[in-house]
Amino acid sequence: MDSDPKTPTPPAEPATTSPRIGVDEWVKRSDERTAGPRGLFGATSRLINGVPQVVWLVGFLAFACVLPFVTSNGYVIGVDADTLLYVLLALGLNVAVGWAGLLDLGYIAYYGFAAYLFAELSSGHYGLHWPTWQSVAVVIAATILLGFVLALPSRRLSGDYLAIVTLFFLQIFNNFTAQGQAWDWLGFGAPHDITGGPTGITNVDPFRTPHVHVWFIRIKAHVLDNAPTDYVWIAAAGIAVIAVLLGFVNRSRTGRAWRALREDSLAAEAMGMPVKWLMMLAVAVGAGVAGFAGTVNAAYYQGVFPSAFTFPLLITLYAMVILGGAGSLGGVIFGAVVVNVLLEVLRTPYQARWVFYAIILVGLAVKLRPWRALIAVFGGLLALGVAAHEIASAISPRLVAGPIAEGPTSYSTHGFFATLLRHWMILPAHTYTGGDYKAGNYAFVATIVLVLALTLVKGWKRWVLLVPTIYVAAFAWETDLINQAPTVRPLLLGVILIVLMAARPAGLFGQHRVEVV
Amino acid sequence: MPHETTQKRPMLELRGLTVSFGGLTAVDKLDFQVGEKEIVSLIGPNGAGKTTVINLITGVTRPSSGDILLAGESIVGLAPHKITQRGIARTFQSLRLFLNMTVKENVMAAQYGHTRATIVEQMLQLPRARREQRQIDAFAEEKLAFFGERLMGYRWNQPAYSLSYANRRRLEIARATATRPRVLLLDEPAAGMNPVETHEIAELIGKLRDEGGYTILLIEHDMHVVESISDRVVALDHGTKIAEGTFEQVATDPRVVEAYLGTKATTTK
Amino acid sequence: MHLVVGFNGWLGWQYFFSTLFTGLSSGSLYALIALGYTMVYGVLKLLNFAHGDVFMIGAYIGYFVLTALGWPLKPILPLAPMLLVAFAAAMLGCALLGVTIERFAYRPLRNAPRIAPLISALGVSFFLQQTAVLLWSPNPRSYNTFEYKDAQLFHFVGWGNFRLQYVQLLIMLSTAALMIGLSYFVWRTRTGKAMRAVSVDPEAASMMGIDVDRVIMVTFLIGSALAGAAGVMTGIVYSQIDPYMGLGYGLKAFIAAVVGGIGNIGGAVLGGLLIGLIEAFTGAYVTTAFSDLVVFSVLIVFLLFRSTGIRGARIVQKV
Repeated sequence: MDSDPKTPTPPAEPATTSPRIGVDEWVKRSDERTAGPRGLFGATSRLINGVPQVVWLVGFLAFACVLPFVTSNGYVIGVDADTLLYVLLALGLNVAVGWAGLLDLGYIAYYGFAAYLFAELSSGHYGLHWPTWQSVAVVIAATILLGFVLALPSRRLSGDYLAIVTLFFLQIFNNFTAQGQAWDWLGFGAPHDITGGPTGITNVDPFRTPHVHVWFIRIKAHVLDNAPTDYVWIAAAGIAVIAVLLGFVNRSRTGRAWRALREDSLAAEAMGMPVKWLMMLAVAVGAGVAGFAGTVNAAYYQGVFPSAFTFPLLITLYAMVILGGAGSLGGVIFGAVVVNVLLEVLRTPYQARWVFYAIILVGLAVKLRPWRALIAVFGGLLALGVAAHEIASAISPRLVAGPIAEGPTSYSTHGFFATLLRHWMILPAHTYTGGDYKAGNYAFVATIVLVLALTLVKGWKRWVLLVPTIYVAAFAWETDLINQAPTVRPLLLGVILIVLMAARPAGLFGQHRVEVV
Repeated sequence: MPHETTQKRPMLELRGLTVSFGGLTAVDKLDFQVGEKEIVSLIGPNGAGKTTVINLITGVTRPSSGDILLAGESIVGLAPHKITQRGIARTFQSLRLFLNMTVKENVMAAQYGHTRATIVEQMLQLPRARREQRQIDAFAEEKLAFFGERLMGYRWNQPAYSLSYANRRRLEIARATATRPRVLLLDEPAAGMNPVETHEIAELIGKLRDEGGYTILLIEHDMHVVESISDRVVALDHGTKIAEGTFEQVATDPRVVEAYLGTKATTTK
Repeated sequence: MHLVVGFNGWLGWQYFFSTLFTGLSSGSLYALIALGYTMVYGVLKLLNFAHGDVFMIGAYIGYFVLTALGWPLKPILPLAPMLLVAFAAAMLGCALLGVTIERFAYRPLRNAPRIAPLISALGVSFFLQQTAVLLWSPNPRSYNTFEYKDAQLFHFVGWGNFRLQYVQLLIMLSTAALMIGLSYFVWRTRTGKAMRAVSVDPEAASMMGIDVDRVIMVTFLIGSALAGAAGVMTGIVYSQIDPYMGLGYGLKAFIAAVVGGIGNIGGAVLGGLLIGLIEAFTGAYVTTAFSDLVVFSVLIVFLLFRSTGIRGARIVQKV
């Protein structure tokens, strides 16, 4: 050897004041280089992320609680209560999916299990009318136990089996609740009505708060049967408490261990973390939250039905959690609110139309970078529409004579939108009264094909293809989809999930994650 | 100077350790010991079974036969996290950091096995949970301080993926020490480092033994490192031990030379 | 409870055997669908939740093709060619659908965390169901097989009291044929070998010159085509199809794949037959309302004790 390998010459000290060892300017500024969204959305999301999450939580809850006093519209208050229930559920799902990175597909089954159990304990079904606090405590404990049990057969290092087992439990649950009015222990006993079958269990007791007499504080006993207002408050209180509790857990050793588990379960285990136990804990904690939500659900609706706890609800919840950003408490709440409000808005064609076109316009404005492209696409869209309309009306007046949908059964040919659309869009005369919405169907399929094609082309061809895609989509919307809210809602959720995973897996407010390849 | 291992019980002992995958015997009746505060290097050509030995010791792989003893107690069959809690920690040949967590969090997370606050205590921020949190925090800073200025200060809150390669290797070792082990298994800690960094790592390993009191089993390819810090060297080839002793003894052992370089040139005419 | 029927005399045995054959034929259907699940899991380690809905689309394609050819009352072709055309159309259509799904919903997520393609699969499943509802209404449609020339397919062939319906025979034979074809493909052709290589180690396979993207595409193609065939068969035997049938059949086929050892082709067949038999016997001898529950519970119990399935391989993780 030429130089002694044990003592190599240390690098010469630089004469100038260059960065010292251990103090690295480049690394110090790494945050600036982390890809963050630019432009208006970037600024907005930085603003939102800058405000401490507590403020958002308190503000949101305050708004939700005040709403029943500001409006007497029962529908709105109902939406308020439903949204809060969704937020509660999303908080719980976030534990397993967002923090621990597990796919818990049985979540809705915990929710339903809790609701049914509460219904069994606090209703006329078995004649038990347990006091509220007793029922709720027992239900939550039972649901937590259920979560533990379901997570038990999952394999240590792979989350796939948890997904399978929980999915199947959901199916078992659905099967059992729908057929449970004649449960006969598989033929070994007499038929027994456990779950009330397809009609469910009704006349469930509402929550009853006890008479409180502590020192000088005296609160009368209440029966919370003024749904939904009372349950807005209950749910909001639940959210506040649970968000705080979960927030503390997230900052403690269990939260860190869940995050480590999500990052690399093998390494986590090598660092002393009991991976299997942590998985079970994450599922169980989520189940506990779902347990509480289930009791609120049962008391609020004063009944439980098998059709309320099915796969579509699971997808809805997942869409909320993923959209908001799995792992971020604030993001999850945001996702719940956005998705629920969106779904509600889609119910009425008139409102839905606003949303549809607003999303398209905003989406174009945000995503089309050079102003010229935006104007070109917009102009092309107008031109195409008007041209198509003229051609169609030249071929046959009936092709453009149709009205636009306003409400479930009301149509109109007047009004701002109607006038605008009827000159731009081809609306055949018997669009809504015809048997099969054939044209709309073809347009829908064509839209899908065009959208897929859009992802394949690049550059200016993309702008060009965008024009017919939007036009055909609008056509499918106006002639078909707008009136099919029960189908469009789940369709939209499915699309949200697919697109989010491909484009922005961190959701709107989740942490941008780096994956090792 | 090799430590005297005959007087007290060895810290880590492998007895007749064997594991087969299908028809391939990856480790064959392996016997050796590592005394307390010893630094033993495990060398051998690629595929000799060195990482498999570490996997066996840490419980990732189950041995077909044989025993592994930590301070005299058998640890075969225990779950990996339990083995770590008993006092054996490892680093990975291909780094396995928690990349999206901060530097400090990586080290804090590794302390899970030695903390006791239940989830209810964490939710309600009861005294034990808060106290442990402070301890975890302080301990993490202490472990990171071992590496000088490199992982200190503002670095604590940097995500681990922003670290340079050498710093990632250091963090991996820091994280392993945070599990309060008695034995450290370092799998190629100097891989991919330049000579300066390699020298630093070698010094660091010595420092780990001297100041930290750890017993160290080291897998390494860089013979300079092996020579400079090992008390003893064990050479493996095709899963069997072919030599054991000081570096000079092992490096000149004909079987070791043959394993690395092939059969002697003099046999071919 | 039906055990009262017992095994007394011919009637009992007849009941037993007809249950057996029912189980085997429905098990064959599950096996066909399960193959798709298992092959995709083998190469991508992905639980393709959307597979059941591809099966559903196949059933609908078969329906439309057969109706266009005049089935069941005014067929313009004899039975065999008509069925062949239906099968071919469904298999082709589903193959195309499967490849499209892979290309747009899963391929962008190749390097994402494991949970991402699973969620995307959920989204695709939902999307397919609702598209079917949108295009073809949620009301079930019927193949109306019974009206075909006095339900020729449901006539029996056999000896004495041990009889088999033509249609059951059809299913078992066609499944067997497809299975043999698949075996040949996987074990004797280069692409099949490439598939096996990719399922063991995609990175190493790509370094050996295997076009991993193409192999995955072929996997989806074959799996989806098999599901399409199963869809048409289901329509023919059970007549009724609806947009949500993918959930029911898909899940049971899923269980079959898992019980048989997911990733293992022979296991999928074994699992499918097993699940079909369990379902048939539970329905016949215990209870029909909760037969699903029994099947699902079998799965969970199985997973508890042998989580890799009957023919599953131990996953060795290289550290």
